[in-house]
Amino acid sequence: MTESMIWWSIAIYLVIAVGIAVLSRQGPAESMSGYFLGNRQMNGFVSALSYSATTYSAFMMVGLAGLTYAGGVGALGFEIIYFAGVSLVAIFGPKFWAVGKAFGFVTPSEMLGHRYNHKHVATAVSVASCIFLIPYSAVQLAGVGYLLQGMTDGAITFTTGVVMATVIAIFFSYIAGIRSVMWTDSLQALMMIVASTLVAFLVIQGLGGFSGLFGTLATDHSASLTVPGPGLFSLVTFLGLSIPWFFFSLSNPQVSQRLFMPSSLRSMRQMLIGFLVFGFIYTLVSVLWGFSALAAFPGLERADLATPSLLASDFVPPVLGVIVMIGIMAAAVSTIDSIMLTLASMLSRDVYANLKPNVDEKRQLLMGKIVIPVIALMALAFAELQLDLIAVLSVAASSGLVAMVPSIIGAFYWKRGTAAGALASVLGTSAFVLLMYATGNSLFGMPAGIWGIIVSTVLFVGVSLVTKPHQASTDAFLNAIAEELGRRKSKPAISSAPQKAPA
Amino acid sequence: MKRSKWIWAVWAVVLLCYLVPYTFLTNVAMWYGSFLFWTCAGLVVIALNIYITKDFEEHSND
Repeated sequence: MTESMIWWSIAIYLVIAVGIAVLSRQGPAESMSGYFLGNRQMNGFVSALSYSATTYSAFMMVGLAGLTYAGGVGALGFEIIYFAGVSLVAIFGPKFWAVGKAFGFVTPSEMLGHRYNHKHVATAVSVASCIFLIPYSAVQLAGVGYLLQGMTDGAITFTTGVVMATVIAIFFSYIAGIRSVMWTDSLQALMMIVASTLVAFLVIQGLGGFSGLFGTLATDHSASLTVPGPGLFSLVTFLGLSIPWFFFSLSNPQVSQRLFMPSSLRSMRQMLIGFLVFGFIYTLVSVLWGFSALAAFPGLERADLATPSLLASDFVPPVLGVIVMIGIMAAAVSTIDSIMLTLASMLSRDVYANLKPNVDEKRQLLMGKIVIPVIALMALAFAELQLDLIAVLSVAASSGLVAMVPSIIGAFYWKRGTAAGALASVLGTSAFVLLMYATGNSLFGMPAGIWGIIVSTVLFVGVSLVTKPHQASTDAFLNAIAEELGRRKSKPAISSAPQKAPA
Repeated sequence: MKRSKWIWAVWAVVLLCYLVPYTFLTNVAMWYGSFLFWTCAGLVVIALNIYITKDFEEHSND
């Protein structure tokens, strides 16, 4: 494929995406929940596609294929465990949604601050999320950089790709906040699922069909079909990778914030099931890409080059290769813009508004909009550092975000949880994970991915037990859930509407 | 049994996702080894989620 073909494709994609983003506007959003939550009125179909696009980023098509290339089938297991972890939405989703409606929460951190009756909890969760998610965004940007550079033999440089993705992400966020982000996400997700499946089909055909591919793997790379396999997926490494990702749907605010957005529980169900079906196909396709690259190009210099090599190969018609490449770039953008919006909402709602009391919604929104490009530029700077294997770095982010998990679970299931416990857990675990990564990521032979959940749980439970819970806020929080979910269960909307004024 | 209790079946599948490939399937270097196991686990997770969230439909739109 030629460089001009790539640039033209990017231009066409941008015209369509900008068109969709502009169409998604529904008048100026002047409230925080309007801009960041789509007024809690998002439908199930768009939510499902957008949830998928936000979760599955450049990591999936470049990173997971690379991980399969380097470590074999263990990459599939790791991803399936993450995938199973999204079932947490089936349990926690309605509860998030109910308290979101009852108390008007915009961010998951605001929810925790309210539940534990301490603003510092909200502030700590927001700041910790930034510390881990900005590098995670950088990983997505780096994915775009590697991809464009790999597919054009360096004609489009790493830096050009990274800068372009950053600018597009800022732009999509600005047009209509979460609405434009979700609609452009949906475009990207639909395009990708079709194009990437087609690529997998063509490549596998080219390699002699499913039996041909797996025959080659069984003969030439038999270790890749088992775990521990070629060595990357020892049980300890596998646990270290998969445990943080198992909790992804709760620990990562850019997806847990989505639980506030569906217009109804029916929409939430569509979001969850839609995501699972999409994610299942996407996972298999990415793993098959990695396997195909291993069968076709066994001697690549870096595993991250598996996807670019495959797309630039003779198996894939140039037009399809370019479509997928644009799709991967859009995938990175769709993840970054969601993260930027979420972090911006957290910084304005839970840091700025907590430091400066009595700030009205308009002012908070303005602050959020100012913060968006700042976050993007920080991610850009990290991406320029060109850190190595994409998947490993993004897991560093997940290990850190596990710090929030016990506080979130405790918020709904443990009345004895306290603000001090939540603070100690979030701050202590974040510091612990950072220290682990700074010192080689191994303590008694185990990585931060395993230690994170242990340390955060011990801190949350231990400190909570020696401090006093705030009974009134706990009761109000849990009663709101019971009321919101119980009341709606069998009664029609009209009869329940006048009662809706909890808390 | 309440539908939400079936979430425990999901957690059981997750446990098996760790146990089976690292014990019984370590020497099955074919497509019908860990590859098939984890693929089927994914499908079971989807089916369980469809079942667990069926009650969500009963909530009225708002």
